[in-house]
Amino acid sequence: MEGQPKPRPSGSKIFYIPGGETLLRIDPWWGLVALVIGLIILLIAVSPDPFWNITRFVRDGIVITIFITITAFLFTLVAGMLGGLGRLSQNWFVHGVATLYVEIVRGIPLLVQLLAWYFAFPVIVQQIGQWLHISALAEYQANAIFTAIMGLVVCYGAYMSEIYRAGIQSIPKGQTEAARSLGMTHFQSLRYVILPQAVRVILPPVGNEFVALLKDSSLVSVVAVADLTRRGREFMAVHFNPIEVWAMVALLYLVLTLFSARLVAWVERRTRFER
Amino acid sequence: MKGRQVKPIIHIENVHKYFAKIHALCGVTLDVQRGEVVVIIGPSGSGKSTLLRCINRLEEYDSGRIVVDGIPLDTAENINTVRREVGMVFQSFNLFAHLTVMDNLVLAQRVVRKRPRGESEKVARGLLEKVGIPDKALAYPIQLSGGQQQRVAIARALAMNPKIMLFDEPTSALDPEMIKEVLDVMLALAQEGMTMVVVSHEMGFARAAANRMLLMDEGLIIEEATPEELFSSTHERTKKFLGKVLH
Repeated sequence: MEGQPKPRPSGSKIFYIPGGETLLRIDPWWGLVALVIGLIILLIAVSPDPFWNITRFVRDGIVITIFITITAFLFTLVAGMLGGLGRLSQNWFVHGVATLYVEIVRGIPLLVQLLAWYFAFPVIVQQIGQWLHISALAEYQANAIFTAIMGLVVCYGAYMSEIYRAGIQSIPKGQTEAARSLGMTHFQSLRYVILPQAVRVILPPVGNEFVALLKDSSLVSVVAVADLTRRGREFMAVHFNPIEVWAMVALLYLVLTLFSARLVAWVERRTRFER
Repeated sequence: MKGRQVKPIIHIENVHKYFAKIHALCGVTLDVQRGEVVVIIGPSGSGKSTLLRCINRLEEYDSGRIVVDGIPLDTAENINTVRREVGMVFQSFNLFAHLTVMDNLVLAQRVVRKRPRGESEKVARGLLEKVGIPDKALAYPIQLSGGQQQRVAIARALAMNPKIMLFDEPTSALDPEMIKEVLDVMLALAQEGMTMVVVSHEMGFARAAANRMLLMDEGLIIEEATPEELFSSTHERTKKFLGKVLH
């Protein structure tokens, strides 16, 4: 297999494929994504009934899963930044509120939180509406997707806060001092000096959170959201073929998670800098 | 040195500073005149760095008064005004690790001084020329030697057109062969008439550039003299300290 390795200019790659300089830049783990996709295609080709039927049936569930994951993730990034900065605040009140939020939310199972957002939150809003005589609130009906995203953002925001906090704290104090000594305000030194460096530090754990969120989004299937998991259960309820359904759903999740993990790794490489 | 009647550009009056239970500054009083170069020496833990860092309020002090160029360091706004006029050079350089040398020099000019990019870059290029590394504008700090990093740090401070430069042990983290290139830049700056307060044990630099030297110990200024006077001091504590650093 291995040809005689010729001396190469300043390459640091482990594998050497003769004539494959561009190939080398492609992350070999993409192969795993291709493998899973190949497996799905193979299953569909070999026995379209039930595999093609399942895939067609859960298609809109995949869209919902992706939509919920991406939307929740974007809000989580904001919530995490606010929470993280709050945890680092000199102001005892802001610090206290942020810490309370992180500690409480991390202590309650996500499933319980989602159930509370879906069942309890609308009732609370209605009762407040009745109490204040605001008919818009009193007649509030929960949108399942909205409460599901709320639940995910509140929960994952707490974990994300800790990631931001650790990332910001990992930037040496001298960086802030240099920025402040040049006359930058606290906000400017955060904006131009600390956060750009912290973002690169927290990228790997943030990427992990994205993948974890993608998987945990399957929990929203119990609060009336027709995501991939729920659509799978619906198909099974009609056709009674649990093995095929859950194998297919698992493979579809696997494609999504493996693909995101590669995407995260790619972004990481693109933004890496040495310090 | 200029006459004592002239209003000092830095006025430090009876400043006390505690770190938890440690009394780091025990009532320091000091005036620095415009254009003066003051070198502060003293054993570690004597409060010299703390005093320097109080001048631009990187360190808060517990009592006393500091007035820089007529502006008392009290409100947050005043502190930022003073910091714009006071450049600082750190022992560990503290260059912004995610920015190129050029962007290190440009950033504060843009966001603090609100200078347009073109003008900021022009200033930056002029300063890189001055500190002797015009070819490193696009390098990242990690790619530079310690001496080069420190010269960039000096240029970054100068880009704000400061009236005062503070140096906190600027050569202590450098390899011996790089110390000279940094000291040469500092010497040139002193000859141009920059007001400088330098914490350093580079006695050669002190002898060549300092108008005044201070010896600090245990949070107090023990002796204050010209370099020649200090090096031949009869003060017991000064003799003991110089005996250790001059060899």
